[in-house]
Amino acid sequence: MDLAIETRDLTKTYKAKKGKALNVVNQVNLQVEPGEIFGFLGPNGAGKTTTIKILLGIIYQTSGQARVLGKEPTDTDAHRLLSYLPEKPYYYEHMTGLEIMRFYASLFGIKDDAQCRSLLERVNLANDMNRPLSEYSKGMQQRVGLAQSLINDPKLLFLDEPTGGLDPIAHIEIRDLILQFRDEGKTVFISSHELSDVERICDRVAIINKGEVVQQGPLETLLVGGRIEVTANQCPDDLVEKLRGGERIVSAHLGRLIVDIPDSEEPNAIVDAIRAAGGTIVSVIPRRKRLEDLFLELVTQDDAAKGRQKRSMLEKSPPDQASIVEAEAAVEEGA
Amino acid sequence: MARAHRGKLYAALAVAVVAAAGINGAVYPLWKKNFAPKTADYSGLSPDQLLFAFAGFRELIAGILWVRADSYFSEGNYDAILPIVRLVTLLDPHQIDVYATGMWHIGYNFTDEGSRSDRRYIPTALALGMEGAKNNDYTYEMFYEVGWMWFHKIDDFYENSVSWMEKANTYDDMIPARRNILNNCYQRNGEVDKALDYAYGLLDKAEKNMKNDREFSARQNRDTIEGNLDNLLVRMSQRGYFAKGAPDRNLGIYDTDNPFDVGFSARVTVVSPKVIVVQGTWGVQPVGTRIRFILRDANFPNALPAGMKWNQGTQVELTPPKDQTFLQDQLFVRNQSFNRKIDMSRDLTMYPFVDDKYLIEFYYNPRSAAIHIQDKFGWSGEGMADKNFLNQEIRPAQRVIYTTLSLTRDQILRRGEWETKVPDAQTKNYRGIKAPSTGSDLITVPGLRGPSSAVEPGDIPQAGGMAGTGEGGG
Amino acid sequence: MNVVLSIAKTTTGEAIRRRVLMVILLIGLVLLVVAPGMEALSARQSTTVLRSLTLGVIQLTSAVIAIVLTVYLIPNEIERRTIYTILSKPVQRWQFLVGKYLGAVAALALMVAMMTATMLIVFSVVGKLTLGSDMVDLAKVPLMFFVQMSLLAAVAVFFSTFVSPIVNFFLSGGVYLLGSVFSSLFEVLSNNKELPAMVQAGARLVHSIVPNFQMFNVQNSAINAGPVIQNEQLYYLGSFGYALVYVMILLIAGILVFDRREV
Repeated sequence: MDLAIETRDLTKTYKAKKGKALNVVNQVNLQVEPGEIFGFLGPNGAGKTTTIKILLGIIYQTSGQARVLGKEPTDTDAHRLLSYLPEKPYYYEHMTGLEIMRFYASLFGIKDDAQCRSLLERVNLANDMNRPLSEYSKGMQQRVGLAQSLINDPKLLFLDEPTGGLDPIAHIEIRDLILQFRDEGKTVFISSHELSDVERICDRVAIINKGEVVQQGPLETLLVGGRIEVTANQCPDDLVEKLRGGERIVSAHLGRLIVDIPDSEEPNAIVDAIRAAGGTIVSVIPRRKRLEDLFLELVTQDDAAKGRQKRSMLEKSPPDQASIVEAEAAVEEGA
Repeated sequence: MARAHRGKLYAALAVAVVAAAGINGAVYPLWKKNFAPKTADYSGLSPDQLLFAFAGFRELIAGILWVRADSYFSEGNYDAILPIVRLVTLLDPHQIDVYATGMWHIGYNFTDEGSRSDRRYIPTALALGMEGAKNNDYTYEMFYEVGWMWFHKIDDFYENSVSWMEKANTYDDMIPARRNILNNCYQRNGEVDKALDYAYGLLDKAEKNMKNDREFSARQNRDTIEGNLDNLLVRMSQRGYFAKGAPDRNLGIYDTDNPFDVGFSARVTVVSPKVIVVQGTWGVQPVGTRIRFILRDANFPNALPAGMKWNQGTQVELTPPKDQTFLQDQLFVRNQSFNRKIDMSRDLTMYPFVDDKYLIEFYYNPRSAAIHIQDKFGWSGEGMADKNFLNQEIRPAQRVIYTTLSLTRDQILRRGEWETKVPDAQTKNYRGIKAPSTGSDLITVPGLRGPSSAVEPGDIPQAGGMAGTGEGGG
Repeated sequence: MNVVLSIAKTTTGEAIRRRVLMVILLIGLVLLVVAPGMEALSARQSTTVLRSLTLGVIQLTSAVIAIVLTVYLIPNEIERRTIYTILSKPVQRWQFLVGKYLGAVAALALMVAMMTATMLIVFSVVGKLTLGSDMVDLAKVPLMFFVQMSLLAAVAVFFSTFVSPIVNFFLSGGVYLLGSVFSSLFEVLSNNKELPAMVQAGARLVHSIVPNFQMFNVQNSAINAGPVIQNEQLYYLGSFGYALVYVMILLIAGILVFDRREV
């Protein structure tokens, strides 16, 4: 079976100021499996929206390849099977929720009014579907957006910052909907710079920074590298030296000993050693790595690496972060 | 989009461009013919006026301007009206009223202190009128106006009034009463047969029209035409017109027989700077003689004998040359003499006296004579003579009285040697004029109908005192 | 085709609710209603002046509406990001562009129709119009204005595929002025033998490339009594054809640009 999304060395170059070329997306390789929730993560201006626009055929890559549902991104056959929820869209405000649904349905040649209504019901807009959008709250507008993105029962959904600017309750509603999509077998491609929601629902993520994918993989493997903290009391002072070694971090103070080991190491040996030395185990706590940690860790590392070898990112001279953000912003405004 | 599709679109684009050019080439002339606003020349408009004009508000702007011109007119600020007339007619070349009024205004209203109009404006008035006619060739009005200016204001070179009136007459919308003017134009142009044919034609039409239209005006019009026709017939027979072409019908006694010598003589004196007195003799007893008097730069551009080239094209020149002098006046004859003082000292712009030499012209043309005098002289002066000044050259096929005198600038301005000496130019035959008498101005002019119709037509010249020899003659 | 019509319908619905257009239209309608008050301007030619003013107001208002309406057609879509929701559907770019254009033209038709109706009612009320053929003759003028404005809208749509709205406003307005107001000027220049050949050729180029907007102006015959119009049907047919072909040129060119455009 085809990959839902596949890119190979996808690159998008813009001319920045003074004739400089700027790779907003740089050699991005993505493989999104059918049926998974794929998180496309990165700070603002990292190139997320640009990548999505290329995948939707709205803009064109400078080099590299992109396939969506096994087809060219500009292929309208692919468009029949996918949908896109842009970041903070404003729909035609003079139309009611139902009219908006009918409009988008008509673009697919769908005339089924019941389908429009049921989708609105599904996003909890059953009572508001005959009110004009100008009277909708932001959350309601976002839900209309979601409903319209479901009108063609898509196999692949692109959600660009789907929870941006929404209140916590709306966050949860949207998140639950996304989970339902997975249950229905849809592939969901979420771009986000917020991690707490996505962390819980993404099967796999790619982390993009300054146009380059810095990590990609299943959430579990990316989160490998958690630590275990063993705490004990009444430990003899010489125990500290015995336990040191490898990646262990050992600290002791007035007989209280804390040993911090990578989760790849068995804590039993430490526990045994403490007991043998007459210490009392207080707690053994595994600390799994959170996506935020990973994200921060990677982006910081990456920025530091880029700082050292900026030439890899730019063909002519180093960019500043501002100009990248600017270029990306320009792309979003369609300038 | 696939490359092949783009290629097809480029091809379609090329085809469409060619098609558009083709259609434009075919349709644009149709539009120009039917819908293009007729405008002479936009060069006189400022950019904002131009913009407004083209933006579709031409007629509005023109209307607003014309209201302003009206207020200037009430104030007597005539000079301010000219640019407005020009602007309005450029903006909205369909404002016939503005063309007609402007033409009349330019031709008649610029006068000196003695109410003599500034003839230097006539070519401008004509040009405006001709432009109006060109821009409004769907109606008779401006053709009529131009014809009228030739007929009434210029009152000479009548072939022009004939051709313009004939053109006006081809339009169906011409008011019936105005059609009668062409009859007079033919007569003044010496085309009496045409006048007669035309009068009969008008009568036919009026009678037909009367059957369809029971309005009083239709009957009135018919009666007018019939009256004019009657008069014409009587005059033609009295003046021996019919007899000329048919010797067998010649009764031998016609009004125009034995041409009458008018005995013209004249003298011009400059009594003070730019003030002249014109005196002279004219042996016609009945009142009604007006002799044309012209004083102009000797080398006035476009000058013609007793006038100028009035039609100088369609270029509307609002400011006639301020350094040229052209005075035209009429000498009214009473008691067989004329004596007129002409004061040009108060009109510096009209009479600048820049030129060194000045020509004075005296001109009398029977075609514009009063009817009762024309009855003796005939349409072309066949009943008129003058021992000294009869001229048959300056107006082809006409016998007119024409002579010239000269004055210098110093003489007119009474400068140099003329400061104390009175300049005096006179015809060789000038012998002075009779002292004005009282009571002799009243003369009974017999009519053709009514109580005095007992007088035989043949007696009229005698009754008018024309048979005698002019006293000033010889 | 359904896609094009759907987009057109939505565009029209939106256009007729745009406040700035409503304000322009309202000003136009108010001017039309008060126009008979200008009668004092001229005695004999009051009808001429009234017609000139009224038709001028309709022309100017619809030109401004046509430009303001169309220069924002696509930029607004991009700003609201609705264009992405549409182009990510099975919608071809040409369908989007043509739909937008047709929607704008339909909105324009509605507004010109409103002004025309207002004009006819006002004229009837003040007694400057007799029912029947006079009415039809007068209504032909705004009809041709509509055709003219449809062409103008196509110009603006074409420009909107590659320039910003403000630039487009002046660009389209400029093209309109060149093709209407200054068209005859360029024609005169191109035929003036006294000018350098370069200037003549330049003027001829401008005169032949810029859409011939003035050809749709038939108000002269409705304002002024004039000669009988010859080949009237041929003229109307031809000018409709010209507009249609030129609109196609602009839309195809627009599609070619927009197809490559990254929005």
